[in-house]
Amino acid sequence: MPASTIDHVVALTVFLAAILLFIGLFNQTIQTAVLYQQHRHLATVCSDLLDNIMLNPGYPLNWGKTNSTPTSFGLQDPEFTQYRLSPYSLMRLQSLTGIPFTYPRTGETYSNMSMGFGNFLFVPYTKAINYSIAAQLLGTTNTYGFNLTITPIVTVSVEETRAASPLRLVVHVAGPGFPLSNAEVSYCFVKVVPKGPQKIPSYSSLFNTTYTDYTGSAVINIANVVANDAYVLIAYAHMSGLVGIGYHERAIGTARTQYVLPLIDSFADRRVLLVHSYNVHDFGPPNAAVFFNATFVLLTTDFTLREMPMEGESTGKLGKVVYGQGTEKTYQNLTIPTYNPGILVISYHADNDDGIVVMPWGISSMAFPVTFGTTASNPEWVVTDIRQVLVNGVAYQAKLSLWSLQGYGVTS
Amino acid sequence: MMRTIEILLVIVIITGAFIIASLFAVLPSPRQVSPLNLKTLALTTLQTLDGDYNLSMTVFKANNDPAWAQLQIALSACLPPNMIYNLTVYEVQGGAQLYTAIKSFSNAENLGVSSQAASYLVASSNVTFEVIPEKIGEQGSGGTLYILNCGDANGWWITGYTAQSLAQDLHKLLSPYFKNTIMVQDTAQLGQMLNNQSLQGETVQNAVVINTFGECVPIPMDYCDGYARANEGYNSSASATYPYTRYSYTLGQMTRQYNWTWVSIVGYPFYYVSNKGVFGSQTNGYGICGMKMVNQGGINAFLQGLDNQPYHYNTTSVAGKAGLVSLSSKVADLCNYYGIYPSPNQTSTRALSTSILSYNLTVALKVFDQVGSLNPGAVYNHVFRNSVDITGSFLALGLTRTPDIRLTALGLLSYYNPRIYASDYTGNGTSRLVVFQLGQAGGA
Repeated sequence: MPASTIDHVVALTVFLAAILLFIGLFNQTIQTAVLYQQHRHLATVCSDLLDNIMLNPGYPLNWGKTNSTPTSFGLQDPEFTQYRLSPYSLMRLQSLTGIPFTYPRTGETYSNMSMGFGNFLFVPYTKAINYSIAAQLLGTTNTYGFNLTITPIVTVSVEETRAASPLRLVVHVAGPGFPLSNAEVSYCFVKVVPKGPQKIPSYSSLFNTTYTDYTGSAVINIANVVANDAYVLIAYAHMSGLVGIGYHERAIGTARTQYVLPLIDSFADRRVLLVHSYNVHDFGPPNAAVFFNATFVLLTTDFTLREMPMEGESTGKLGKVVYGQGTEKTYQNLTIPTYNPGILVISYHADNDDGIVVMPWGISSMAFPVTFGTTASNPEWVVTDIRQVLVNGVAYQAKLSLWSLQGYGVTS
Repeated sequence: MMRTIEILLVIVIITGAFIIASLFAVLPSPRQVSPLNLKTLALTTLQTLDGDYNLSMTVFKANNDPAWAQLQIALSACLPPNMIYNLTVYEVQGGAQLYTAIKSFSNAENLGVSSQAASYLVASSNVTFEVIPEKIGEQGSGGTLYILNCGDANGWWITGYTAQSLAQDLHKLLSPYFKNTIMVQDTAQLGQMLNNQSLQGETVQNAVVINTFGECVPIPMDYCDGYARANEGYNSSASATYPYTRYSYTLGQMTRQYNWTWVSIVGYPFYYVSNKGVFGSQTNGYGICGMKMVNQGGINAFLQGLDNQPYHYNTTSVAGKAGLVSLSSKVADLCNYYGIYPSPNQTSTRALSTSILSYNLTVALKVFDQVGSLNPGAVYNHVFRNSVDITGSFLALGLTRTPDIRLTALGLLSYYNPRIYASDYTGNGTSRLVVFQLGQAGGA
C-alpha cells in the first residue's frame, strides 16, 4: 500500500472522528440555548397569563354573581381596577383539592372548598367553572397546563386555651413566618342557645375589638360561657393595609354527626340549600331532625363585624331538616339577603348535638384559599409567577404555575 | 502525511471556532431562566398596602411616627421570605429638583446582584384633586352630544367591537365635556332627531352626532322603501343598485340645516345603511344581516346635501390609501392636556381626498398630517361662498379597522378645545412618590 493511500485513510478517519466529536459539542451548546429560550418563553407566557386572569373581569362582567358560563374568563372585580379580584368569581371556580360529593336529593355533584368541619363551602358542578372551560376561554387548551392558587397572605388562627368561665381564646396573626404585632383584631362571637328538644335554637352574639401584642397574639376572654356551650368566633385582623381572617368553632356532641350542611344552589338568586348531614355522609341508621337558626354577618368598611338581619322566615332562616323522605323537608331553601360579601352563620340543635357551621358568601369573607386548574403530569419545566391581590379588601397572594404541553421534550 | 497535517489544521480551526462560540454562548444565571416578575410584584404589593389608603396615610406621617414601623412589618409579612427590599419615599415638589428623598428603609444591606423597582404616586388625604372640564356649548348654543347606539342596526368595519360597546366608551370619554349627552337607542329616535324633535329636552341645533356604526349608518324605517318618507331615503331612479344613497343626501341636508358636526369614526363614510327590522336577512355582501350597501356614492351624496346641491348619483371615489399616518402636532400636544393617549401612528386606507373641498369645505382641524392630497383624519367646516357662518361640520377618520375610539374623542376635543380646570399635582406637600425596589436573596 503506498504511503499516500495510508495518509488518505488516516486523514479521513481522523477527520470523520473530529467532525462527529464537534457535531456533538455544538449540538450540546445549541440544545442548551434552545432549552433556555423555551423556558424563558414559558416564564413570559406565565406572567402574561397571570395578568390576563387578574386584570380582566371576563364577560359577562358580573359572571361571578350569575349561574351562567362566561364567554371570556377573568377574575378581576368588575367594580374596581388593577389587581382586585371578585370574591364571587373565585367562589365559582371548581376546587382542585377538595373531595367532591353527590347529594342524592338533588342529584348534583358539589365542588368542595371547605376548610374543615364547620367551615363549609360547596358549589354545584353545574354552576362551577371547571378547568377545561377556563383553559378553552384562555386559549391554553393543548398548549399549556396551569394551576392557579390564591392564598391569604395573613394567617389568623384561633386557639382555645380555656373552655369556660371565662372562655379564653388566643388569636395569632402572622404573615409568612412573621408575626403582625399591634394589629387591630375585630371579632364576632356567636353562641348557640338551645331551647330544648325538638326546638329551633336561638343564638347570642357579641362584637368587639382588640390588638395583638409584639408576638402577634391577642387574648380574648368571654364571660358567661360554660363548657357545653357551642360557639363560633370570627376574627378579622388588619394592619397597614393587610387584612386577614380567622375562625374557630366548638361543637357539642359525642360524634359530631348530626349537623346542617349549607350547599350553594344558585348564585343568581343567592339561594343556599340547608341539608341534613346524614344525607351527604352515610353515617349509618337514620337519625334525628336538625333544627337551625341562621344569621348573616358582614365586614363593614371600618373593619368591624355587623350582623345583618335576615327577613323573617320567608328567607328560610329558621327551620328544620330531616334525614327521611316523608312529608317533612329533607332540605330547606335559604336566601342570602345581599351581594355584599359576608358569612352565613347557622346555629343548629339535634338531640345531643349543638353547634354552629359557617359558610362564606364571597370567598374573601372567610379568607378561604382557592386552588384551581390541573395537576402537572411529569412536566419537564414548570414556571411560576406571583402577584399580590386584594379580594374585597383582604390581602391574597395569587400564584400561577404553568407548563408546556406542546413541543419536543415537554415531559421529563 | 500532508493530508493528515491538513486535517489536524482543520481540527485546530474547528476547535478555535468552538471555543470562540462557547465564549459567546454564556449560560444565563438560574434566576434569569425562570424569573419572578419582581417589578409587578413590587407594584402589586404597594397597591395591596394602599387598598384602603393606608399607605397613602402612612407616607405623609412624620418620620418618627409608629405607622412607619407598622408599614415595615406589613411589608415583611406580605413578601415571600427570600425577598429583600428597599422602600424610599420622595416628596414631589416644584422647582429645579422635583423629587426629594424623605424616608427610606430596607430589610437588607444591599439588594443582591439584580433588583427591579416599581413606583407609586400617592396623594395626601388633605388634598382634593379635581378636574373640572368646561362644557361645550356652555357659553353659546348647542352642547348636545348624540351617540348613535341604535339596537336595531348593525355596524361594519368596527371589527371586534359592537356599536353599543363603542358608544359606552365614547359616553365615558366625552360626556363630561358636553351639556347633554344622549344615547340614541334605536333608529326611531334617530328619525325624531332628523325631524328636529328633542329626545330628552336637549337642543338639536349645533349638536355633535357620532356614528358608532363605522362605515354603516342606521336608517330609520320611515326613510326606507315603502314607508312614509321613502322619497328622502330611497331613490331607485338615480341608482337601481344602490337606491339608499339618497339617505346620505338627507343626512347631509340635516347636518347643514341643524349645523351638526357629523362624526365618522372609521373607514369609508356612508358606505352602508342598516335597519335590522326592514332589511331583515338581507346582507351587505359580507354576511352581515340587516344591511344594504350604498357604496362610494354615499359620501358624495352627503356632501351634496351638505352643500345644498341638487341630488344626483355620483360614484366617484373620494378616498385613497394614505398608509402610515401620524397625529398632527396640535392634536399630539393636546393628548397631554386631555389625558387621552392613542398611538400617534395609525394606518389609513380610506383617507378623504382634498377634492371634497370643492363642496365649500374648509379644513378646520387636521387630526392627522396630510399625506399628499389625502387627509387621513380631519374636521371640515362647511361655509357657503361669501358667508362667514358655519353651516355644518364633518369629522372623518379614514383609518383602517379596528377603530380606536379614543381618536374620535381626541379629534372632537381638539376641535372644540374645551378648557379643563385641574388641581396642581406637583404643588408642595400634595403628592409623594413611593419607590419600592425588590431583589432576591441567595443564589447567583
